[in-house]
Amino acid sequence: MTTENNKKKSGILKICLGLIALAAVIAVMVWAYNKFSEKPVEGSKAITIEVVGKEKEAAYELKTDAKYLAEAMDEAEGLTYEMEDGMILTVNGETADFSKDSSYWAIYVNGEYGMYGVNEQPVEDGDVFKFEYTVYVAE
Amino acid sequence: MMNVSNKKKKKLLTVRDITLIGVMVAVIEACKMAMTFLPNIELTSFWVIVFTLFFGWNMVFVIPVFILIEATIYPFGLWLIMYFYAWPLLALIVWIFRKKDSVWFWSILSSLFGLSFGLLCAIPYIFIQGTTGGLAFAFSWWIAGIPWDLVHGVSNFVLMLVLYRPVRNLMKKLPVIKD
Repeated sequence: MTTENNKKKSGILKICLGLIALAAVIAVMVWAYNKFSEKPVEGSKAITIEVVGKEKEAAYELKTDAKYLAEAMDEAEGLTYEMEDGMILTVNGETADFSKDSSYWAIYVNGEYGMYGVNEQPVEDGDVFKFEYTVYVAE
Repeated sequence: MMNVSNKKKKKLLTVRDITLIGVMVAVIEACKMAMTFLPNIELTSFWVIVFTLFFGWNMVFVIPVFILIEATIYPFGLWLIMYFYAWPLLALIVWIFRKKDSVWFWSILSSLFGLSFGLLCAIPYIFIQGTTGGLAFAFSWWIAGIPWDLVHGVSNFVLMLVLYRPVRNLMKKLPVIKD
């Protein structure tokens, strides 16, 4: 009976330790995200949004207080876009559908490939955003 | 006089094995399709774990077949390479711990796999040259995806916690398991 109880206690202890370890991993990941992810900056910001499509190009310069790129895009006069599942599907009437022809709208932030979708990409003063129609080619 | 052995040669794959592999792949694909509208919430991890526990080495065929079917549905990309090491890694870890029969153990393991999925998928980016590669890019890519990894980890935990015992008990009753 005592051996059974000890086994049971040992089992419960292992489960608790496992759950604590899991919670610790989640906490570390949340900390890493808060520490290393880009943060939005408030205030009046002068930005440029360039659109390099398959058939046409356009550039928009605007001053915005938007925290994230999607909000700034809403303010850019003449710029239209549609999204699906959080991803840009159409810009200025040109659609890039990855499931059809491996095409997509690549986002560049100050010349570097963007890490975030337009709803999560922070906007800072002086930023240059580029949407480029891209066709994925396997190497 | 020729000495004819009465022993039959043991086949690597029997008809039953091939059928089981087909059924397992179909189950994984059907569940994946059914949950495609829920980002990062999937049953693939659950089935890879359960099928490895019950059918062991058959997973050597199940996982590549599953990935190749995915490749016919979705356009080729870096994800294909990621799949070819991420899912076998899970099956290998499950095989190492195959004697465990605790719902908590498998829920925690499944959760850890979900939490680490983004990190696993960031690895190929380390080896890519140019603006969309390198260690810094891979790190930023992983950081940006952490919210989705958290969804993945939590959902894997909940799904395993809820489904492990009923599915395990059902699987034990299957004639193909009893044989």
